[in-house]
Amino acid sequence: MSARSRTADDPSAVATRRPARRRSIAVVATAIPLAMVISVLAFANPAGPGDPASRSPAAKPDKALVAQGAYLARMGDCTACHTAPGGKPFAGGLAIESPFGAIYSTNITPDKATGIGNYTRDEFAAALRKGIRADGKRLYPAMPYPAYASISDHDIDALYAYFMHGVAPVHHQPQQTDLGFPFNQRWTLMFWDWMFAGTPRSAPAPDGHDAVARGRYLVQGLGHCGSCHTPRGLAFQSKALDDGDPAFLSGAELNGWLAPSLRGKRTSSEATAGDGLGGWSHEDIVNYLATGRNAHAAVAGEMKSVVEHSTSHLNDADLNAIAAYLKTLPSHRAKPDQVGSNSSDARDTTQRLTKATDLSHGGRLYLDNCGACHFADGRGAKTVFPVLDGNSLINADNPTGLIHVILAGAQLPSTPGAPESLMMPGFAWRLNDQDVATLATFLRQAWGNKASKVTARQVADVRKKLGPDDMHGNGPDDPYPGLQMHADAEDD
Amino acid sequence: MSFPIKPDPGRRRFVGHSLLALTAVGLGSTGALAARLDTRPPALDRYQPVFFKADEWRFIKAAVDRLIPADDTGPGALEANVPVFLDLQLASDYGEAASWYMQGPFVPDAPSVFGYQLPYTPAELYRAAIAAIDAHCRKAHGDAFAALTTADQEHVLSSLENGDIQLPDTDRGPLPARSFFGFLLKNTKEGFLADPIYGGNKHMVGWKMLGFTGARASFREWVDQYDRPYPLGPVSLSGEISR
Repeated sequence: MSARSRTADDPSAVATRRPARRRSIAVVATAIPLAMVISVLAFANPAGPGDPASRSPAAKPDKALVAQGAYLARMGDCTACHTAPGGKPFAGGLAIESPFGAIYSTNITPDKATGIGNYTRDEFAAALRKGIRADGKRLYPAMPYPAYASISDHDIDALYAYFMHGVAPVHHQPQQTDLGFPFNQRWTLMFWDWMFAGTPRSAPAPDGHDAVARGRYLVQGLGHCGSCHTPRGLAFQSKALDDGDPAFLSGAELNGWLAPSLRGKRTSSEATAGDGLGGWSHEDIVNYLATGRNAHAAVAGEMKSVVEHSTSHLNDADLNAIAAYLKTLPSHRAKPDQVGSNSSDARDTTQRLTKATDLSHGGRLYLDNCGACHFADGRGAKTVFPVLDGNSLINADNPTGLIHVILAGAQLPSTPGAPESLMMPGFAWRLNDQDVATLATFLRQAWGNKASKVTARQVADVRKKLGPDDMHGNGPDDPYPGLQMHADAEDD
Repeated sequence: MSFPIKPDPGRRRFVGHSLLALTAVGLGSTGALAARLDTRPPALDRYQPVFFKADEWRFIKAAVDRLIPADDTGPGALEANVPVFLDLQLASDYGEAASWYMQGPFVPDAPSVFGYQLPYTPAELYRAAIAAIDAHCRKAHGDAFAALTTADQEHVLSSLENGDIQLPDTDRGPLPARSFFGFLLKNTKEGFLADPIYGGNKHMVGWKMLGFTGARASFREWVDQYDRPYPLGPVSLSGEISR
């Protein structure tokens, strides 16, 4: 477990990202009892204080270093968990509900009383790389410190400079996390850390001369991509922290949504469901990270916030480095599924929708609700309407993400490279549960797609959980507010 | 014919209400936001009109049945719930002329480019005209319009259309029969052909009669399918599907 649970409930926690919130609870739930068990076997000492080597607080700000730190904080997407909705930047207070009580993100501004203003550089480094905060207590493995273990000394210096001198101190004491026993025994996490966390390294960060090496450093470290895209084991630990293991970035599920595999080095030009980024070119990856859209896809779900707050702010060299690195990762599957638009299945669906004389109910629903933008061939339009044929969201084992998008719609983030915040409206007001299930099933089996059926009950479960913030685009206003048009409705 | 927007407090009030409504939607319960729209059409014989009184309701049902009767071509205005459409329209903004310029001077002889020239809102016009026509029918034919024979009803409607019947002035001015007939005919067609969300065109019967596809807006693949009849029935704004 590590990073997927990035709760950042400690003053020293730095980067986290929303995707993991709910997952993080499960992580904590599982990891702590595990650690408790181990603690019975081994007589243990609460973790000692951090490295006391340099205790002099941050001296004078170095402007260039602060600017580098600001950039790196973007890379780590620290704001995602450490800024509450409507709150001041990095002042914490985001509530994360858990079965054991709410966990609150903390203030990581340099305020001395309520933030991390008293942290030395080495205490700051220990929090990021080892998950140990200044008072010696363990962070909940919500912080992605297993990934951050590889952040270079120089980048730690830059981040430290930024959080000491580039972030405005905010005097704000977020609600304290107070989980009940045994979950409040943070010291037990040392066993989890011992088993699963990475060993801190302090090799210098590769510069831009070796793009693949630079990409590896960013993806495995500060970018902590594996937190969502690498599957987890029984203790919710990432099954792999680096590319020495084919499980690394091979895809995982997050709150019912697929965090697809980022592997799949191939040369074919077509996206292939279940085979990660095999169908994406280097440029496709760069465009997606920079703008949330490319020739195949449009960002939705938790990755939207990542693009909006983090990757769209990265420089071209780093985006290219990330893409270059990801394109070196071979598919994790011995024999990737051959699904995609060039199959005869794909042509069959397109022909049926084009002739429109022998349509299933699902096909009819597609034409009535989706066809105007995604078209009979399911190819959409580059950088505007995503391709549905071979789409990873549609082909995911768990249809939650697809159902969510049909019901609530989705909206692209506005990014510096592509400011248009294009929106797909939700269809919750227009389609009942059975229709959404029929439509989703059609999509999952149309063209070259191959995925299981969706039931009305699954749709009802997703619909129940939708809140106002989830919805994109309302249905038409009631033309007769206050008049009871349906009071005498027929029972048909 | 288009009507100028009236720049008076009424419009501002309308805008204000709209904003309030938007806010209400924004703060509304999540269940309502994610809920399927209720699109069940009412049964005409069980529908309780909100604008028309009982005798007016009888008049409207009889009149629209003459204007668009059910016949070999297909269902008529009653099957399409046109009276429900008229009732709801007259009870809401349209009936109150909420977005029209409704201050004088009213010049009935003005060219049509000057817009609507009667002092009555549509609701007021329907109410006054129906009463006057029923009075005329009682005098000329011995009963209210709804109770007359089909032939007599058609005769009365033709006379209204031609201006052969002179309705008595109200205390606000003339009550031109032709103007009322124009409203009634136009609104009846609208009720037959507007999206079912507005109460008429029940189960899209009007669209099916015409072969109109409704709210689909997806025809790119038909651009090069020459000489093939379009096979799909309509879909309504709220997602009702017909073969």
